[in-house]
Amino acid sequence: MADFFLFVAAILIFFGIVLGVLRLILGRTIVDRVAAVDMLTVISISVIALYAHVSGRFIYLDVALVYGVLSFLSVLAVARYLERGL
Amino acid sequence: MLELLVILLCGGILASGILAIRLSNLMAAMVSSGLSSLFAAVCYVLLAAPDVAMAEASIGSGLATLIFLYAIRRTGDATE
Repeated sequence: MADFFLFVAAILIFFGIVLGVLRLILGRTIVDRVAAVDMLTVISISVIALYAHVSGRFIYLDVALVYGVLSFLSVLAVARYLERGL
Repeated sequence: MLELLVILLCGGILASGILAIRLSNLMAAMVSSGLSSLFAAVCYVLLAAPDVAMAEASIGSGLATLIFLYAIRRTGDATE
């Protein structure tokens, strides 16, 4: 049962990455691309968490934690620049 | 299943790298470059190197984006 849910999660992550990269390629404005990068960041964190569960190495959750904090700062800096300059 | 994810992430690195070179808008190119290093960090985790992934996430995706923002702000308009 748990394997089924992990498989469904992997399929959803797959389609999420494909659609996010498509939005990045086709994006008309900068805001579209920044939103796509933010979504792909969250998907990447979920990939790391899923892999930590599948491989049984829970030290990878620390990587996901650091990753979430830093990508949040990056997207925040870009959004502040777009609003009124750094 | 995980091999498919690694292949997909490598395709994402290729696509965002080509976009970072080809886009004429400097901000969009910078965002694409940050995404390329973000996918590379996930690939490092999947290839069992979490310390390299942490360094890549902090430097490539966090620090490089801020430095590029500062450089774009100092050198002129964001759009070419």
